[in-house]
Amino acid sequence: RGLGVAAGPPSIRQLREAEEAAPVFQYAGKAARRKDRVFVWGFSYSGALGVPSFVRPDAGWKKPRRIQPTPYRLETEEKISSAACGYGFTLLASNTRDITKVWGMGLNKDSQLGFQRSRRDQTKGYEYVLEPSPIPLPLEKPQQTRVLQVSCGRAHSLVLTDSEGVFTMGNNSYGQCGRKVVEDEIYSGSHLIHQLKEFDSRVVQVVCGQDHSLFRTKKGTVYACGWGADGQTGLGHYNITSVPTKLHGDIAGVNIIQVSSYGDCCLAVSDEGDVFGWGNSEYLQLASVTETTQVNVPRHLPFKIGKIKEAACGGSGNVVLTEEGNVFVWGYGILGKGPNLIETAVPEMIPPSLFGWSDFSPDIRVAHVRCGLSQFAALTNRGELFVWGKNLRGCLGTGRMEDQYFPWRVTVPGEVVDVACGVDHMVSMVRSF
Amino acid sequence: LNAAPGRAPRQRVRFLPAPAPGGGGAVELVAARVPVLADHPLVRGPRFRKLKIGAGHRLDVKASGVFVLGIGHGNKLLTHLHNCHLTKVYTVGGLFGKATDDFSDTGNLVEKTTFDHITREKLERILAVIQGTNQKALLMYSNIDMKTQEAYELAVKGLIRPMGKSPPIITAVRCLQFALPEFQLEIHCLHETQQYLRKMVHEIGLELKSSAVCTQVRRIRDGVFTLDDALPRTQWNLQSIQEAIRNCQLKVETELEKTL
Repeated sequence: RGLGVAAGPPSIRQLREAEEAAPVFQYAGKAARRKDRVFVWGFSYSGALGVPSFVRPDAGWKKPRRIQPTPYRLETEEKISSAACGYGFTLLASNTRDITKVWGMGLNKDSQLGFQRSRRDQTKGYEYVLEPSPIPLPLEKPQQTRVLQVSCGRAHSLVLTDSEGVFTMGNNSYGQCGRKVVEDEIYSGSHLIHQLKEFDSRVVQVVCGQDHSLFRTKKGTVYACGWGADGQTGLGHYNITSVPTKLHGDIAGVNIIQVSSYGDCCLAVSDEGDVFGWGNSEYLQLASVTETTQVNVPRHLPFKIGKIKEAACGGSGNVVLTEEGNVFVWGYGILGKGPNLIETAVPEMIPPSLFGWSDFSPDIRVAHVRCGLSQFAALTNRGELFVWGKNLRGCLGTGRMEDQYFPWRVTVPGEVVDVACGVDHMVSMVRSF
Repeated sequence: LNAAPGRAPRQRVRFLPAPAPGGGGAVELVAARVPVLADHPLVRGPRFRKLKIGAGHRLDVKASGVFVLGIGHGNKLLTHLHNCHLTKVYTVGGLFGKATDDFSDTGNLVEKTTFDHITREKLERILAVIQGTNQKALLMYSNIDMKTQEAYELAVKGLIRPMGKSPPIITAVRCLQFALPEFQLEIHCLHETQQYLRKMVHEIGLELKSSAVCTQVRRIRDGVFTLDDALPRTQWNLQSIQEAIRNCQLKVETELEKTL
């Protein structure tokens, strides 16, 4: 039958019929879900990125990658709900009811990732963990308790659960794990994970400073333990505290809704939008209230910048986010307002046009702010991540190795939900499109 | 143009012989102003034989919209305007469900896909990502050292632009209409071609896990010239052109002074 058909270019009618007869492919149905992913970038030789082939290449053509300058996807078994970056190590936690809830990777010389049994020698533990490895927590009801949040300091880490209190592990030479300091204790390869339960109410947030720990309870009180030589425990003295003790000073009786710390300075935000600070002030972080370089009692910082929603502390600079969505920075270092602003004691606002706000898109707001040791990160309500600060070993994720003096977008294939900043690496939780 | 009254011919003082008022035969020289013969229209010919017309930024055969032309001295202004690197605005119409080889709806069909899972929110998310990556490209190709205070101040005001050659950069995208399977976008861009915009529509379709073709590309603004300044087909006559040139002169001058 086909022999009688005339040859030549297909007519319009034939083209249209061929088009209508073409099969229709379906790539995503109505019930397509957005996937949750984890992206890491920064210095990889400590193992903190969790990709073993960067440190020990497993194929002949691969070369060791010292620095991962752009976001790299990390495959995880479960959906990660909370992540924290310490000084050369990372903790990832999931909200699941399974037995394995927390994974750790990176430096483990002080057992800050718990005991990771070495396969070569069953009695010793790994000093560097290159891959996300499960951390065995001594839970009473492992199939009911959920891990809410994790936090990492210089050589210790804290895990917050919903019904079994706080678990601490790692270095305790300054009492930062909340237990009595044992002289000449060997922390490497230690099985000890301490559990803290006695607070006035349930703990809802844990924060690790460099060598101290802060706990915020549901009632709005703050407890601290650890090193206090800069006054970062806020307990009125400059000594070590090995048992979590309640803070007083200007925050006595105030309902604190957020605490933050990463170096030796601490900030707390109350429900009325006031910010309180204590600890190290060598970099003018608390110079608005005092000339001394160490403050050991929480002091109210009288800033007239509006109601404050969130605060984040870095090593030498601080950043706050107000209710209107404006970002204010102060302290010392690369603060984000160009190379001319190196230090300021009074908060300076970063113009919203640097975060993508313009006449064309006037409803862009900054939703969260985070701090690493010398970097800052801001998340907008559209899911974009902006970073600025010192680019130590590629931790900013911009793809360049130079420092960034004003907020710069990080290209992540997805909507960034949360980011955790460390000293020389960062971890972000992203939802795919 | 040639029919319009031209310049009056030059006048010259010549001493012409005229009969003297005295007796016959004697000739007197009398000064008289006479038009120069070289300026006579029959000698000179038509005033305009050729017009130098130059075109501004290119427009495809399949696209439509504002197309800037320069006449005579305007060609020099066109070159200056090109060096200003101002943004152009397009309305791009798209259709979900089809993918063709040249990204427009008149090409050969490559694939058909479903599109009922697409919502306006998903589209706007993709547009936000496109804007973000292009923002980075904008800062990178502008060849300014990021470490200077000057770069920071320009970035705050939003004035950083590549002032030389660069790949196509999109400064802003916005979704104007969304009615499955059709949608319309408003795109502000620099150094682009219309085929690049059609390819972008195709890539938006791919990102949304479906496919899209471009049905319409219309330039609504080219630097300082908008749709209101542009002359439609019915007004392509001398008077409208002259009036349009007069109206735009001031705008072009201010823009050139501001940028250069």
